[in-house]
Amino acid sequence: MSAFHTLKVGFHRLGSPPNFYRLCTRLAPWFWIGFVVTATVGLYQALYVVPPDYQQSDSYRILFIHVPSAWQALAGYAIMAVLAAIALIWRIRTTEILAMACAPVGAAFTLICLATGAIWGKPMWGTWWVWDARLTSMLILLFIYLGIMGLYSAFEDRRKGARVACILVLVGVVNIPIIQFSVEWWTTLHQGSTINLLGESTMDPSMLPPLIWMTIAVKLMFTAVMLQRASLDLIDQDRRKRWVDGVIGEQSS
Amino acid sequence: MIPEFEYAAYVWSSYAIFAVVIAWQASVPFLRRRRLMAELREERALRSGHYGDQR
Repeated sequence: MSAFHTLKVGFHRLGSPPNFYRLCTRLAPWFWIGFVVTATVGLYQALYVVPPDYQQSDSYRILFIHVPSAWQALAGYAIMAVLAAIALIWRIRTTEILAMACAPVGAAFTLICLATGAIWGKPMWGTWWVWDARLTSMLILLFIYLGIMGLYSAFEDRRKGARVACILVLVGVVNIPIIQFSVEWWTTLHQGSTINLLGESTMDPSMLPPLIWMTIAVKLMFTAVMLQRASLDLIDQDRRKRWVDGVIGEQSS
Repeated sequence: MIPEFEYAAYVWSSYAIFAVVIAWQASVPFLRRRRLMAELREERALRSGHYGDQR
């Protein structure tokens, strides 16, 4: 009971803007350091250590950035949806801001996924783009992310904008299982999943380490940028409040 | 030191896009913080009338 109480108090403290701001600004640099370390290891392995694929040769190395970006685009949306639901149900402003901070980073990873997928598709499929279910649903995800960002910034009252955008986030959740299962539900040019976290992967084990490192790296980067963007949104919204004066004072000294 | 790949143009352009987008994502909060802090310091100076506090 006391552990639950401590957790509850800690959660409520995060709702306090100064505490939330301090937490974001203190944690973000550590996530960036983690990103630099893991991405350095991952990129080194992806470009220097793993052997070429026997069919795709070196072109498969694109996978080490394409797949983690795709996973993060989906995971980012799931995180944003959970935060949006919490924000709408309990009206916690900091959660609302965090949810909105997920959208630009998620859109960036969706863009990387689409661009690198197209670049890989040209030599392997003979075309940059096909309107198959996986590619199209991923493109729709990018439009949803952009729609959320646009809706959030379209309102002069940022809180109102965030609440409307949170509703769009929840509506857009329907696209996530469509992306995930598109390769099973429809006949697609995009291959089915070759990496299975719970079962056996069809990918050679020697190729897994860079993929794991890069997956961790993009997750750390996503968190770092999300926290930075959230802290800035918060300070922008609260610019007339007294606690912000303290922050400016700290920055000036 | 730079590895020679088959399909090198495709591989390197993909990694370049990744690097550019990551750099863009890293720089946006940094630049926004600088602009926001300058705005807030200016607003505070206007309110208090102490223009000498601005940096």
